Amino acid sequence: MSEKTSILVIGGGIAGIQASLDLAGRGFQVYLLEETPTIGGRMAQLDKTFPTMDCSICILAPKMMECFRHSNIKLLTYGELKEIKGSVGNFHVKILQKPRYVDQTKCTGCGACAEHCPIEVPNEFDMELGMRKAIYMPMPQAVPRCMTVDKENCIECKLCTKMCQAGAVDFQQQPQEVDLNVGVVIIATGFNQYDPSEIVEYGYKKQRNVLTALEFERWVCASGPVGGHLLRPADGGIPKKIAFIQCVGSRGSKFGAPFCSSVCCMYATKEALIIREHAPDVSVYIFYNELRAFGKGFQEFVNRAREDYGVNYIRSRPGEIREDPKTKSLTIWYDDTFTREIKSLCDVDLVVLCAALIPRESNKKLAEITGIELDECGFFKVTHPLMAPVDSTVPGIYVCGYCQSPKDIPDSVAQASAAAARAAEALALVQAQRTGDGA
Amino acid sequence: MIMEQQPKEKARIGVFICHCGINIGGVVNVPHVVKYVKTLPNVTYAEDNMYTCSAEGIDKIKAAIKEHNLNRVVVASCTPRTHEPLFRGACADAGVNPYLFELANIREHCSWVHMREPEKATEKAKDIVRMAVARASFLKAQEESEVAVDPTALVIGGGISGLTSALCLANQGFKVYLVEKEPELGGMLRKIFKLYPTNEEAQRILEASINTVMSHKNINTLTNTSIKSVDGYIGNFEVTALKDSEEKKFKAGTVIIATGAVEFKPVGLFGYDKYDKVLTQVDLERVLQTGKSAMNKFFKPQRVAMIQCVGAREEKPPRAYCSRICCMVAVKNAMLIKEWYPDSAVYILYQDMQTYGKDYEDLHRKARDAGIIFINYAKQTPPEVMPLPDNRLRLTVYHALLGEKRDLDCDLIVLSTPLVQQETAEELSKILKVPLGQDKFFLEAHVKLRPVDFATDGIYVCGTAHGPKDIGESISQAYAVSSRAGGPMANRKVRTEAITAVVDPDRCVGCRMCEKLCPFGAHRIEEGKSTVIDALCKGCGVCAAACLRRAITMRHFTDDQIMAEVKTAFLTEAPKPPKAPTV
Amino acid sequence: MTEQFEPRILGFLCNWCSYAGADLAGVSRMSYPTNIRIIRTMCSGRVDPLHVLEAFRQGIDGVLVTGCHIGDCHYITGNHACEKRVKFLKEVLPQIGLEPERLRLEWVSASEGGKFAKVVKEFIEEVKKLGASPLRKELQESV
Repeated sequence: MSEKTSILVIGGGIAGIQASLDLAGRGFQVYLLEETPTIGGRMAQLDKTFPTMDCSICILAPKMMECFRHSNIKLLTYGELKEIKGSVGNFHVKILQKPRYVDQTKCTGCGACAEHCPIEVPNEFDMELGMRKAIYMPMPQAVPRCMTVDKENCIECKLCTKMCQAGAVDFQQQPQEVDLNVGVVIIATGFNQYDPSEIVEYGYKKQRNVLTALEFERWVCASGPVGGHLLRPADGGIPKKIAFIQCVGSRGSKFGAPFCSSVCCMYATKEALIIREHAPDVSVYIFYNELRAFGKGFQEFVNRAREDYGVNYIRSRPGEIREDPKTKSLTIWYDDTFTREIKSLCDVDLVVLCAALIPRESNKKLAEITGIELDECGFFKVTHPLMAPVDSTVPGIYVCGYCQSPKDIPDSVAQASAAAARAAEALALVQAQRTGDGA
Repeated sequence: MIMEQQPKEKARIGVFICHCGINIGGVVNVPHVVKYVKTLPNVTYAEDNMYTCSAEGIDKIKAAIKEHNLNRVVVASCTPRTHEPLFRGACADAGVNPYLFELANIREHCSWVHMREPEKATEKAKDIVRMAVARASFLKAQEESEVAVDPTALVIGGGISGLTSALCLANQGFKVYLVEKEPELGGMLRKIFKLYPTNEEAQRILEASINTVMSHKNINTLTNTSIKSVDGYIGNFEVTALKDSEEKKFKAGTVIIATGAVEFKPVGLFGYDKYDKVLTQVDLERVLQTGKSAMNKFFKPQRVAMIQCVGAREEKPPRAYCSRICCMVAVKNAMLIKEWYPDSAVYILYQDMQTYGKDYEDLHRKARDAGIIFINYAKQTPPEVMPLPDNRLRLTVYHALLGEKRDLDCDLIVLSTPLVQQETAEELSKILKVPLGQDKFFLEAHVKLRPVDFATDGIYVCGTAHGPKDIGESISQAYAVSSRAGGPMANRKVRTEAITAVVDPDRCVGCRMCEKLCPFGAHRIEEGKSTVIDALCKGCGVCAAACLRRAITMRHFTDDQIMAEVKTAFLTEAPKPPKAPTV
Repeated sequence: MTEQFEPRILGFLCNWCSYAGADLAGVSRMSYPTNIRIIRTMCSGRVDPLHVLEAFRQGIDGVLVTGCHIGDCHYITGNHACEKRVKFLKEVLPQIGLEPERLRLEWVSASEGGKFAKVVKEFIEEVKKLGASPLRKELQESV
């Protein structure tokens, strides 16, 4: 091989990062494409991870930095795939990078611009529970460490340009088209969270002490919108009772998705443990249907939560969450399936809805552009769920992580390496064919 | 303590203090710090920069190195965790060994946390730079070593995981030794009838895999073979295998454990060993494999009940875990029985249905639609099995959701038991020096981010040897190890960072404390002295701090260097130059 | 002591967790007093009892040793060794005339910037109450 073979990885979450590092480490040139201004994905938003209770960003950040510094990895953040032609071994891809209006080679991430920016908008990284400026960094550990101008909300007062001592702000920047020749493509676009607003009985968005699980992760995260202090969202009060509702918008409910998101029973237990460690006087209830703790160390983790930390598990799918208009506290009406009684849990300060984790809407567009198939739930289809779990329906394009099917971080990381192996295998085959070697 | 030899040359240190715009300069009086730094011992040159990490700043460092013949560089700016590699690169470009560079953190650890105390922050910045300069005086040039990697993989286990990883590696051009202790390849899959979610026949898939492996020119298959010993380290494993009692020796660059798992036999539970119509799921698979007509001779299932979680999810290890696949196995086999015998009544007695994800939840629903009856039982009130005079069995279960007892007179009871670790795993774990967890499955380097690696480089694990999982998940992991092992083998080498331990054999008395403490097996005792295998040493320094003979030097984090920082952290009198070593 | 005594604190921080936590405290612009100086090691298991004793010998008033939480050590068991050593040191210190409270062990993860700042503040206050290290006077007299 006279020149380095290139690989395009779409999606800068943990799966995309792992696949990139595996392939870059063995000499391939990797282009890591990410649609937001920073890599890190969902894992960067989490507070802790189950079952180890590792701090999520702590174990993720070194990998993010490695991607940034690796001589074989080029980060293409704030961009998306526009077009792809060709076949395995020889794909021509067109990528469009949105302008940040900040020169990445000059910006030091000092934040002076943001300090003076007059515009505040909800911060997507904090699930819109906190604010950011129109010139911003999504999170303190962003990679690349560079500010971005949200042109939609920017009023072009140019205060940032004035305040930047490095002269990095550049409103003349244009969208950048990047044309690449790659041998294979790996898709690792992750997931979105189902918006349970349509389940009116749960009062999400109307009742402020009801949060979704991802919102709760940001809420308790030390680098989140309230500095990780356990407070009631509605009035900043100190909670004494917190409840989790599982399977919101999944598994045969009228709304949302029919499948099981695989990770919610475990992350609810994790969040319950975070609460119990934070504030031992807060009682925690998890309303579940099936308790899915099937992974390595998971059942033991749940046992610990139940026995050592006193987390209460109630087998039920609650019918209603009702807010007291004066106190903003909540009452959960449910039928306890083991006692067949209708009960209510009163004076609940915070309810976390473990909403279904669903394929991104953008997967449809990606499928159209690449020609790979989606299944009926919107996940990327593979050619054989057993023998070829990471091969998409187009040879040379691989899929891994949650966008292939619901799975947790260890399985996503394993699949990312699997996709890297399949990519290396395919490229070795192409190379052998080119040089006339029999495989 | 072993004193690092004082660098033969006199240290000529260049110090670059960064303003970082106003981030540092707005709090710390940088010009004052520069003035002070010039008075420090061994400092040849000092300047301040607006942004030392900018292209301009890097150029200035390189220029100063040349102009002032600097042999060490200190930059006082932000955190080394992000910027050390950048400045190391600049030094290397200018001919200064990258390990002769030190970064003093006066931003995250000073200006940013003392924003309202500029005078004190300035004094602290002086102290921080003084510490870095003192440390830099003791820094030594280091060379990173490389270890050659043999592009040969040893795959232990010829089940579907071993077959898949062997094939993937072979296709990438690597040589593979596939070792299987049984006379035939195939492992657990040989015992399985159909696979979920596709309902394909396991034997068909297995045969295709085995044929491809057997005909691949890069794969050397050794059946009836066990592993006797594996010496060496990543890139250079020396393997001794026993094939039909004959020793076979070969070399490998990487080792993959794919030894699988076995089904737990629930002796003493639910009459398993007492009644011939109580089977495990694998027993049932064998019966199903014989086909419908053969099965009719065994029994005519009018009522079949399956009991989940038998011998699993217990109070204490080793079987405290959920075996992940049993619920789906039960659903699959229940649907099969219902398909062959539509008039039969099929029950699944469960605690929690682990039909997770997309396809499995779907099949769970289909099973309910097909008329399979699911009965929830509580862990504290397990079902009971009693014999009936007509050779049937009475299964009594307390239906947890209806709150009533049910008697099911069954022709067949199937117990879903967990996968458990092989008996031979304990020995293999000792041979390879890799750990087993409390559940007895192989314990990976990091449960979240390194699921198929071990802490020891060059050894990997995949499939049910790592923990219960289904075929698709095993194959994913098998591909994963092909990438993890493929990396070092594709590069033909691994680099080791120069932060490794060095043992002085003159001081070492072979007490083995270092060997005991090292989590990576990097210390080997040879002829009564400890030596460090560079390729395995991660540089934590736990051994150095433990060595009572002060025989271990941690390169780049030597006692001298650390002590220099301790001694210069606070000074009340004029700084003295670092003293000459007294050995 | 007529003027406010300002203790001299030395902190040993491990590269992977506590040093990153201290970095985060900085990134988050948290505040703590200026009394602390930091030494970075790769692992808290590198911290040698001799390093700590030398610090006290230099007249340092308090030593803070930090590392990854148990179970999170980047080198798997390094912090276990550190824990044992600190325990041992706390028994040794009284024998050389130092209060064991002058040595503190804390696990600070890379995301606990707030905890780092809090621990530093608290430790400085504690050592302030203890007063200057008894060894300081001896040092001054011997110079």
